[in-house]
Amino acid sequence: MESDTVTTGMTPRTRFGKRGGLTIVGIVLSLVSLFPILWAISSSFKTRATVTDGKLLPNDFTWENFRYVFTEVPFGRWLLNSFIMAAVITVAALFFHSMAAYALARLKFPGRDSIFAVIFSTLLITAPVVLIPLFIIVRQLGMLDSYAGLIIPLIFNAFGIFLLRQFYLGIPKELEEAAIVDGCGYWRVYWNIILPLSRPILSALAVFFFLANWNQFAWPLVSTSSTDLTVTQVGISSFTTQYGANWNYILAAAVIAVIPMLTLFLIFQRQMVESIKTSGLK
Amino acid sequence: MSSIATERQQAAAPPAAAEHPPRRRLSRKHREWIAAGLFLLPDGLGLSVFVILPMFFSIVLSFFQVSGFGSYEWIGLGNYERMFNDPYFWSSMWVTAKYVVIMVPVLFVVSLGLGILMKQKLPGMAVYRTALFMPYMLSLVVAGLLWKFMFDEQTGVANKIVGAFGISPQSWLGDPSLALYSVILVTVWYMMGYYMIIFLAGLNEIPKEYYEAAKIDGASPWTSFRKITWPLLRPTSFFVLIMTTVAAITGTFDLVYSLTAGGPANGTAVAMFYIYQQAFVFGEYGYASALGTFLVLIMVVLSWVIFKLTKGGRFDDGE
Amino acid sequence: MLRHGKGAVAPSRRRILGGAAGLAAAGATGPLVSGCGGPAKAEGGTLKFWHFYDSASSDPAMRGQAKWFDDVIRDWNATHDVKVEPFFVPGTSYQGSKMVTAFASGTGPDIFLLSPGDFLRYQNGGILADLTPHMDRAAVADYGTSLTSRVVEGKVYALPMEVEPLAIFYNVRNWEKAGLSEADIPTTWDGLLDAGDKLRAKGGGAGLVFETDPGYYQNFTWYCWMWQGGGDVLDKDGNVTFDSKAARQGLSLWQDAVRHGIAPRTKPAAGDQLSAFKAGQAGMWQSGIWMVNTFKVGAPELEYGVFKLPTPPGGRYSTAVGGWSFCASTQSSNPDAAAEFCGWALGRMNKKSVDRTVSWCTGVKSDVSPRASALKAATAKGGYDSWAMKKFKNEIFPGGRPEPRYPPVVYKAVSDAIQATMLGGKGVASEADRAAQTIEAYMKSYQGASLI
Repeated sequence: MESDTVTTGMTPRTRFGKRGGLTIVGIVLSLVSLFPILWAISSSFKTRATVTDGKLLPNDFTWENFRYVFTEVPFGRWLLNSFIMAAVITVAALFFHSMAAYALARLKFPGRDSIFAVIFSTLLITAPVVLIPLFIIVRQLGMLDSYAGLIIPLIFNAFGIFLLRQFYLGIPKELEEAAIVDGCGYWRVYWNIILPLSRPILSALAVFFFLANWNQFAWPLVSTSSTDLTVTQVGISSFTTQYGANWNYILAAAVIAVIPMLTLFLIFQRQMVESIKTSGLK
Repeated sequence: MSSIATERQQAAAPPAAAEHPPRRRLSRKHREWIAAGLFLLPDGLGLSVFVILPMFFSIVLSFFQVSGFGSYEWIGLGNYERMFNDPYFWSSMWVTAKYVVIMVPVLFVVSLGLGILMKQKLPGMAVYRTALFMPYMLSLVVAGLLWKFMFDEQTGVANKIVGAFGISPQSWLGDPSLALYSVILVTVWYMMGYYMIIFLAGLNEIPKEYYEAAKIDGASPWTSFRKITWPLLRPTSFFVLIMTTVAAITGTFDLVYSLTAGGPANGTAVAMFYIYQQAFVFGEYGYASALGTFLVLIMVVLSWVIFKLTKGGRFDDGE
Repeated sequence: MLRHGKGAVAPSRRRILGGAAGLAAAGATGPLVSGCGGPAKAEGGTLKFWHFYDSASSDPAMRGQAKWFDDVIRDWNATHDVKVEPFFVPGTSYQGSKMVTAFASGTGPDIFLLSPGDFLRYQNGGILADLTPHMDRAAVADYGTSLTSRVVEGKVYALPMEVEPLAIFYNVRNWEKAGLSEADIPTTWDGLLDAGDKLRAKGGGAGLVFETDPGYYQNFTWYCWMWQGGGDVLDKDGNVTFDSKAARQGLSLWQDAVRHGIAPRTKPAAGDQLSAFKAGQAGMWQSGIWMVNTFKVGAPELEYGVFKLPTPPGGRYSTAVGGWSFCASTQSSNPDAAAEFCGWALGRMNKKSVDRTVSWCTGVKSDVSPRASALKAATAKGGYDSWAMKKFKNEIFPGGRPEPRYPPVVYKAVSDAIQATMLGGKGVASEADRAAQTIEAYMKSYQGASLI
């Protein structure tokens, strides 16, 4: 299922050399990319006095930061709120966006391109500028300081529609045509053909959406005030005060907050990188 | 080349249509319209209420002088007039332009390169993929903090690395001639794994039969890339290009805020940062709305040009 | 009313509560405006008091400070019908999007903490309730000059709970490593740069840390260097005097410090002075009295010293004095009760009111008291007995001047001059001149309360 574009006509030796070279490139790039994170992990075991000493390994290894994060602040609650928020947004967004994208890419109706242009243009909107109007709308809907107010406005984002549309444009037409001739309704075409075909891209989007919303800060900060609704990033921000900052706690919290993301990525990554199996269709 | 990346077939009349009598065809057309409407309904409604309506509000507000405390005063084009005479705004637009022109191509090439690399069958690929995607799992604030440590003048790793090459210590975030490049470096590091995955998804759509055919013809990897990958990857490339440009203009503000607070000497004060400052530090919400509206207008023009050039990202070269 | 538009401003000023007002005017959102009203109304008259002291903070000092707020509120609630409720906003977000969004949409707090830099913006926005009727007349005198920057046309609009002068903190470990002793404590700018240079060369860390990030705080920490040479942004009559020898000299000091590598271009330890001092990454740091408590709680074993800002040749000692204050919002559902709360808490002559200031400034925090009576009581109670607090009270604070309340355009002009000279290496004369011109142009159309 993966294609290898570089091995043609080479002797086994140069082939190994080439692959070996690429492997080394992969390792080096991965290390460069990971370095700041590994270093953050190492630093999360340092004290406030040494967290910025630039050393790769802690001189005075301590679990205190993790103890603090888990016992002194309602970190579990923050994580749970972030999880609820990110999970609901992800599921709803994948569903709605794939529906919209299917219509935009595969159905023919008047004004399709204009509707797409309008949807696309919402991507250009600059978040801070619409923060206050959005706040007012959500307040008028009576959703302030609730899960609904936290979650619903963040579901609607043209990014996913756009990406899925680009993807659906590429799906071979024949399948769908055949299904429609068979008398399948559009819903069944979407449900039985389009959705299964988009598993890889939906997996990727699931990870993207979950991540983006796991790390939300501005909207939760503005739209919620009760401590029961505090999400991880807003919670973490209280480690910084007007008079100083506990970088060690922030790093420990950030390291823990990455773990669910990493798990999710590892679960989905197989599907994310899978090719859609269209070979037999042409 | 095929139906995979183009939509040539869509332009042609559906083969099935001709077999049906005219009345049936009409009803099918209408059914298709209704279906489309229903499919678009949830997102259409949500986007209208939570995105388009606020934007409309914001455009209206751009004609008002807003005190930030609930007082609104109609000043017509006053905010726009002020914008044209505001040297800070134009200098922030210039910083934004530099940022976009450097960051977008670098990010594009790096993530495409990583995407292609990750497509190879190499041992441990899943591990590298995860490693490259991991920066994106951090929040921007934490990413900014980490790089503040890395760029520290005394203890930072960056100076240790350049020191090994005999280069004297730099102030990566405190020197106006360096700061923007440092911010770009952090952005690329943060985003590359994300767009790598998107490119990978696009690459996986390309049927491997094409590569096999090219292999038999004895094409070099470069030729395969040029003749197969590049043209068939166009919808993805188009997407990445648009999204990185938009993100560079509208979405970088958090990172800038946590890395440099717009300094040194306004060296990293991108337009979005200036707009944020006007809105949330100075309480000049009407003015910030005008600046934001102007920025959106620029992006509309920019993407209109890109859309025209690429035929709406559909690449219906047959139409 | 603050105005930046040129002639396009309509003469009549519409004032409508609720953020959708602009749209109402555009005739688009009738239904949205109806039902607008602060949350205070909806919640049965409870007044919200926004502050940034976290009762669940990692910092035990901050927990104590949060408790102080809880105690004040509990005292009030025990004796008043209108109840007050504390509301915590994380420190770094306090002045940002949350507060602005809340005020812009008419859902702002009833009572809140305000920094001097923001005072005029809120005052010109008509948001600050007059606290004078809720204070004892004698208390106004008791506050004395601490109130100056919070008074407009004889009326008090904010009640300071603290006074926070700036000084230079030095790290004894670095100091000794650099071969310096207490006798080397500088009293002149040249001496300061010399000591900084030695610290940089031999102390093992940055020589002298000035604020590097552009912002209100950086301006606050810079003004005093200009004042020492007798300069100012505006003179007593409101004329722009920024293009002066004193201002250029102040800009040069920071520029020279950076140019010679004495002051870093970015703060060590990503700005956390406590960890920078503990790790020996900085020899000197210009900072405020609040650090006394931060060190006491976070690093009791740390050896540090404090000295008052050195002066230029022919200059006169001065330092900038900051500090937050209680304010009541006119947008509140019950502005009278909100203002009464502020007056009751901090503005009376009774012992409880004075004691609140005493326990805030010397109990849970380390500050100079803004009230003469509280300063006296705190001194009697031993609040200024420690060497650092004594030094702040007796040497550093006298000669201090309140942080100015310049509006955003003036702030930005000064900030740009500081950034361009300090970090951009631009000429001090041209930058001072440019800033002066910007401020002058702005002052021509400015119509709000006096800037001085």
